[in-house]
Amino acid sequence: MPDELVFMMGNFAARFPADRRYTLNHMWLCVEGDSLRFGLSAYAIRLLREVYFLEWSVDAGATVRQKDEIGAVESAKAVAALYAPADGMIVRFNPDALADPSAIHKDNYGAGWLFEMTARADDAMEPAQYLSCLETSWIKAQELLKKQNA
Amino acid sequence: MSLLTVILSRSPSQDPRKRELEEQILAALSREPDVTVATIPHLYDFVEADESLRSVTGSLLVLAWLYPRAIHWTLDRLSIKGQYGNTQIPRPDSEKDEPKNSTNAQARTIWSLDLRDGDTAAMHIAEIQRILRDLRATTPAATSAPASVPKSEIGNQKSKIHRWYPVIDYGRCNQCMECLDFCLFGVYGVDDDGHLIVESPDNCKKGCPACSRVCPQNAIIFPMHRTPAIAGVPGAGVEVQKLDLSELFGAPAAAQLATAERNAALAAAEKEAKPKDNLDKLMDALDDAKL
Repeated sequence: MPDELVFMMGNFAARFPADRRYTLNHMWLCVEGDSLRFGLSAYAIRLLREVYFLEWSVDAGATVRQKDEIGAVESAKAVAALYAPADGMIVRFNPDALADPSAIHKDNYGAGWLFEMTARADDAMEPAQYLSCLETSWIKAQELLKKQNA
Repeated sequence: MSLLTVILSRSPSQDPRKRELEEQILAALSREPDVTVATIPHLYDFVEADESLRSVTGSLLVLAWLYPRAIHWTLDRLSIKGQYGNTQIPRPDSEKDEPKNSTNAQARTIWSLDLRDGDTAAMHIAEIQRILRDLRATTPAATSAPASVPKSEIGNQKSKIHRWYPVIDYGRCNQCMECLDFCLFGVYGVDDDGHLIVESPDNCKKGCPACSRVCPQNAIIFPMHRTPAIAGVPGAGVEVQKLDLSELFGAPAAAQLATAERNAALAAAEKEAKPKDNLDKLMDALDDAKL
């Protein structure tokens, strides 16, 4: 198995490390102690570009349901709300990303992680499965970009 | 003698381009006679108890990364009142909708400029110079009101706390009290005269704009909401300044949104109410025990 998979967004090669799983809302997750650590995938980062502002609307310790709005990011290109990737409890947010949101795009798979949750995340996908979802997501994203740019 | 006080509200974001624009405007204004310049941290995060802004008297111009309506009514709730100053900044919105003044607006004029309008500092500088020319023309030198001289930086610059609360556009609000009925967190109240006020702003649930959606007059502004119509865009226009990618990150369809927000508010309210129920049971138990 290769170390990473690549998905072409136009001419841009978005890379997805094979050592973790991915969610439908474009977050990666990996086990960190007793909880799961989440961050944004290269696909999300490519759409956002440089991230300048990060804010959480729930506190650490909050119990959330999948798809609950939990925060927002603003970037060079876009604004976006962030949604809980699974049912569970938010254990903590990455203080470094809050202090300097640029970590989110500079090192999205490392120091730019977003939060840690105790969750099952049963529907998280292996990288290959995520990439097959990106095929349809990328078409939808391009339509959204066209619609909003119109 | 200063004709105009210009207050620049810093962006809460760390976007280097925003910083650069702020610095360019500050540099240009420092060379301008008749102007007193001050910078403040993000205006919306100011707490009501902070009186430093209230010391500014005379004609006032505020630059912020917010819609002019949001600036005007955020100042209003901080008891910094004045007539809405008309600007000639070209806006992307087709419809012009200048805020009406609240009834107790003072005689002085307050101009509000949105730093997101246009990409260059030159446009904002030119507009401030135009306003200055008008002020010089209409203010006899001998009687020009001495504006107070604020410190160059007002407020606690290190404050990292981002607030979230509704700002009422009293030019639109018709006192129907729907928001008061709708909100489950006691954010709204009435003053001694029975007028709607944002009584407990910090009870507001961060990120929730549901009361703004139920307001029949669209008079409730959440200046930091990503949806322009909720953040105080003029008119009914929903001109998008940045792409909203929320849909790609899992946002529900628009029709489900208001319901989802209301349900989330309800669930949170019930969660908060539980300890009270337990306390009630305990009180009942104590009564039953006849101690």
